[in-house]
Amino acid sequence: MVEKLKYLLTHALINLARAGWGSLASIASIAVSFVIIGIFILVIQHFNALIAEWQEQFQVSVFLDDQITPLQLDMLKRRIENEAAVKAFTFTSKEEALTTFRRELKGQESLLEGLGDNPLPASFQLKIRDEYQSSEALKGLSAFLSRLEGVEDIQYGQEWVERMTRAERLIRLLGAIIGSVLTLGSAMIVSNTIRLAVYARAQEIEVMHLVGATKAYIRAPFLVEGMLQGSLGAALALGVLFAAYRFVAPTFNVVSPLFSIGASQGFLESSMMAGLVGGGAAIGALGSSLAVNRFLKM
Amino acid sequence: MIQMFHVYKTFGKDLEALVDIDLHIHKGEMVFLAGPNGAGKSTLLRLIFCDELPTSGQILVNGRNIVRMKPRMVPQLRRTLGIVFQDFKLLRDRTVEENLALVARVVGLTMPQTQRKVAQLLTLVGLSHKAQMAPYKLSSGEQQRVAMARALMNDPLILLADEPTGNLDAELATDVLRLLFEVNAQGTTVLVATHNLKLAEEAGCRTVFLKQGRIVGEWR
Repeated sequence: MVEKLKYLLTHALINLARAGWGSLASIASIAVSFVIIGIFILVIQHFNALIAEWQEQFQVSVFLDDQITPLQLDMLKRRIENEAAVKAFTFTSKEEALTTFRRELKGQESLLEGLGDNPLPASFQLKIRDEYQSSEALKGLSAFLSRLEGVEDIQYGQEWVERMTRAERLIRLLGAIIGSVLTLGSAMIVSNTIRLAVYARAQEIEVMHLVGATKAYIRAPFLVEGMLQGSLGAALALGVLFAAYRFVAPTFNVVSPLFSIGASQGFLESSMMAGLVGGGAAIGALGSSLAVNRFLKM
Repeated sequence: MIQMFHVYKTFGKDLEALVDIDLHIHKGEMVFLAGPNGAGKSTLLRLIFCDELPTSGQILVNGRNIVRMKPRMVPQLRRTLGIVFQDFKLLRDRTVEENLALVARVVGLTMPQTQRKVAQLLTLVGLSHKAQMAPYKLSSGEQQRVAMARALMNDPLILLADEPTGNLDAELATDVLRLLFEVNAQGTTVLVATHNLKLAEEAGCRTVFLKQGRIVGEWR
């Protein structure tokens, strides 16, 4: 078994070296595809971090009628407590709202002098569970709360929620489309390189076939060669991405909101990197088997 | 060892390569298949190692009907055969030793077993001193002997040799013939296709004559 593995790996490496520029071109093409796929994953990862941070801070404000009675307030509190979408909530009385407001206006308190009575309403600040933070769920919650007695207004940045949801969907969709196209493209490139290698070794394959080698036996070194090309390409792409991420991106700060979060977010997780290298190997194997299978139909 | 019953092979619609072949070769026998170019000798050999299927008829090799054999069983059959191809089919970018080792790998010999076998066979064909050379740097006679050594790497039950003395002069042809006898003496069934009637005569073995795809006579 060990000898077989050693044979496979040695021959795949020898064949990779024999193919020379062809192998290099193939590895480089895969690397380019994976750099683009990697950029998408990074952007999605940072976007998700941004959304997660935003979701953490997200709250729905329920502003109360100034005329609300203590009984109505108590009822309202209980309704909010029993609401599945609500993770936690706090109550801010009119007085507390004013105090907070004063604190925020530090040094410009004179602006409040002409106001006379406290114009700020009492309110509930609701923290919403992650799964209820879609625009549809929030619309439903808002409609429900606004029908309750003593509620004057609901605010939760409707437009932002919708925009964020739309943007996230768009990026995911774009990532999926571009990722699939690039994956297919990479497989075709490997397939072509391996096909050249297969044709270059047509006589060897023929002899092996005639002396009793099974198709699997003939196919195996080519598969390993494709997997090596794919994983080397993906690893090269990760190296390039890492260098760009560490040195270039902070200097130019091109997509500032994303990269500012990125600084705390870090590079791709090791499981994701392993996944990409594994994906490269899988694409290499796919391309290689496409080429060899076509040739072995003899 | 090899039995053919009413075997026909037609290429395309009307090119009859073999017509009603009935041939029985016993275990340990050495048989020559003689005839002019285009008589169907190579086609007959190719049927035996399943490179072609007959249009009709049955073929038994070592007791197995290869016409009904599943494609996945063909490699197993081929591993029991040794084939010397007319064009040698030696890999130009490998040394003589590596050409032989290729077969050893396919039949699953370990590295030490391979080294032993390669050394033994190169000694048999008298080419031990050329083990590290590329085949294309050898003479035709030497290439022929390398091809023979490669065909013997798997200790075949049957050796099929297609024009093994093709372009060789009389002296080299006799060398090859001697080698074939040696292999046969060790119990391997040998079937040699040749257009060289003199060689068949010199060998003094059973000879089957083919002409235009038909068996037209036999010497014993």
